[in-house]
Amino acid sequence: MGKVIVITSGKGGVGKTTTTANVGTALAMLGKKVVMVDTDIGLRNLDVVLGLENRIVYDLVDAVRGNCRLKQALIKDKRIENLFLLPAAQTKDKTAVSTDQMAELCEKLKEEFDFVLIDCPAGIEHGFKNAIAGAEEAVVVTTPEVSAVRDADRIIGLLEAAGITAPVLVVNRIRTNMVKSGDMMSVEDILDILAVDLLGIVPDDDAIVISTNRGEPTVFDDNSRPGLAFRNIARRLDGENVPLISLEEKQGFWGRLKHMFKSE
Amino acid sequence: MNRKWSQSLANKPTLLYDKSLRSGQNIHFDGNVVVLGDVNPGAEIVAGGHILVMGALRGLVHAGAAGDESATVTALCFEPTQVRIASHITRPPDDNANGGIKPPEVARIRDDNVVIEEYQPPR
Repeated sequence: MGKVIVITSGKGGVGKTTTTANVGTALAMLGKKVVMVDTDIGLRNLDVVLGLENRIVYDLVDAVRGNCRLKQALIKDKRIENLFLLPAAQTKDKTAVSTDQMAELCEKLKEEFDFVLIDCPAGIEHGFKNAIAGAEEAVVVTTPEVSAVRDADRIIGLLEAAGITAPVLVVNRIRTNMVKSGDMMSVEDILDILAVDLLGIVPDDDAIVISTNRGEPTVFDDNSRPGLAFRNIARRLDGENVPLISLEEKQGFWGRLKHMFKSE
Repeated sequence: MNRKWSQSLANKPTLLYDKSLRSGQNIHFDGNVVVLGDVNPGAEIVAGGHILVMGALRGLVHAGAAGDESATVTALCFEPTQVRIASHITRPPDDNANGGIKPPEVARIRDDNVVIEEYQPPR
């Protein structure tokens, strides 16, 4: 029996889809059998980020409504053997699926897969309720912004009310130099407010933009810092004890010089 | 080579859509569909007959959806996510390098395969 994990945030644009794509891929790289389910019906993105958009024939709505067999809707990743995507429908709306249907779907998927990752839409309405309907665990993604943290807090409350009691936190897009200068919330500040366990910290990096636009998860890139962060998150989800990576940025000569003047 | 649209399909009603089709928008029509604009990724056209896009085709199209294998898909700029004709499905190769100016292209079924070639007006 596998685990059903929902990846959610409340606020949009904080990196739910990027996290799902990269953590899913990284788990598959660890040899796990993984399926990622895009529940953002009408605004699907996960297929694009994974570069699988043009392979879609059937989608989530077809699968739950019985227009096709579940197996037919699963898209096999083009890079990794044991990674699958269940794409959302694009031309329907979120009410096309009910919470009961989602719960049933998750039950079926976890018999077959080690990890079922649910990519949740932004917001707290129908789409969110669908996404968490079949989930047993939750990963809450936030960025170091007051608005994102506020929404994460709301989401954690809603998850607890729905019986998902111990969500874990991913802090995305941390910029160490801004945290140091006091212009950005630190991970400690965020944990202080949210009071949940930390699953990982992902540095802000240009590599994400490049990989997302290419439809190629950044976890494949050994030199990518966010890639390493996501690989570590996957290992922690798999039960391994992995220390947090150092967020110290390598400073060039000018960086050091600037730093010297700043500290004086 | 017969480049004429088949009599049966040409006799079907034709829907003229005079805007671009954006992601999530779709046209389902049991006849031919002509779009005066682009069809963006995430948009979908399902037509009983031919599909003609007077712009860039980047979304998903299904011509001859009721099973008519003589249906064709034509676009000024042919870069679809996926093309379906009758019961055939095809998609561009993964290493598809777009860019550059291309002539209008047409997709049709020939010898049980979907082939895409430069558009030639029927003689």
